[in-house]
Amino acid sequence: MRSQTPEDTKLLILPTHLVDRLRAIATRQGVSLSSFAAESLEQALRVDEMDASLSDAVDAYRLSEIQRGAGMVDVPRSSLNHLVERLYNRKGGELRRVWGEAGRWYGEYLLAKLRPGEALGFLEKELLVAWNLDEAEVKESETDVSVRWVSFAMTEEFTELLLSYLSAVMDALGYREVERDSLRGMAVLKYTMIGVK
Amino acid sequence: MLAADEELANKVAELASRRGLTVRQTVNDILEQALRVEETGISLKEVVEERWKLEKAQEIGFTFVPEHLLYQVVDAAYGQGGKQLSDTWRGVGGWYGKYFSAKTDKPLDAFKEAMGLLTFGASGFSLERQKDDRLAVTCVSERFTEGFTEVFSLFIEGVLEVLGYEVSDREVSKGIIKLKLSKRR
Repeated sequence: MRSQTPEDTKLLILPTHLVDRLRAIATRQGVSLSSFAAESLEQALRVDEMDASLSDAVDAYRLSEIQRGAGMVDVPRSSLNHLVERLYNRKGGELRRVWGEAGRWYGEYLLAKLRPGEALGFLEKELLVAWNLDEAEVKESETDVSVRWVSFAMTEEFTELLLSYLSAVMDALGYREVERDSLRGMAVLKYTMIGVK
Repeated sequence: MLAADEELANKVAELASRRGLTVRQTVNDILEQALRVEETGISLKEVVEERWKLEKAQEIGFTFVPEHLLYQVVDAAYGQGGKQLSDTWRGVGGWYGKYFSAKTDKPLDAFKEAMGLLTFGASGFSLERQKDDRLAVTCVSERFTEGFTEVFSLFIEGVLEVLGYEVSDREVSKGIIKLKLSKRR
């Protein structure tokens, strides 16, 4: 990059093949090549300010799109915790069943929306970002999957509902729960591919 | 060659230096990734906006939940006696009001922004500043149940009360929240 006149602009050197593609997109969008490139650089800087990368941003976009398509909404966790606590004594079984049904549906939805093999990686991001957990890890071996998550703010009741939901998602993805170790806001789970002994 | 605004070019140079790359490599990487995004038919701006929204939602303690589960749970709890539930949602709203006040000197804007996240895809929300420090708030969704509409209206009231407003007119029915508020003297 070298300073050139006019004084408030600098010139960026780009390879020809990139310029051709940039020009094609810019023309399609009806903007100049410079403004398309400037907008892209601005957005990349914005992502950098979030301590993320453009590929993180694309993942987040995809996650939001799938969540929206699945009818998810954002709510304050504290309100939800209170609701669940309030109902759990009387209706815990029914709540677990309903959350399990929702999980089963969501697992099927993921299978329909994602490419084969993408669902588990997606689920890990979803637990972290959409469910706002403090830690989440989904590890896949040949026939087993281990899931570990931690949330410092989660109530015991909500933990149980999330467990019902998650196991039903995994069931729809073709995994049966074989081990469960959970405490308030924390779970270590193991799943085996259905049909494998 | 591509002409770029000097300030933008300097910021890119800073980014390159932080990443230990040349400016040329950094610019090429960014534009290459931007093209990959745009070539799939998605706008890079929308992608970045969505990432920002998710980060904000996480930061203020929101969680995603299947919408129909939320309504079921709210309605069931509401049926067991609405008073305590109403107090809780108003209280949570109050908490957010204090949070926005502490976090920014434009809490009303922060609340409006948060409502953009909270009503994500599900409803139309508007908050209008009117003459004499008055506010008009509207939130409409055909999917809200009666119980949810009621508690959600209390959440909004809770936020705005802490921000110094009081409700002067209230119209809440299934799927429709219309509030008029004035600044408390």
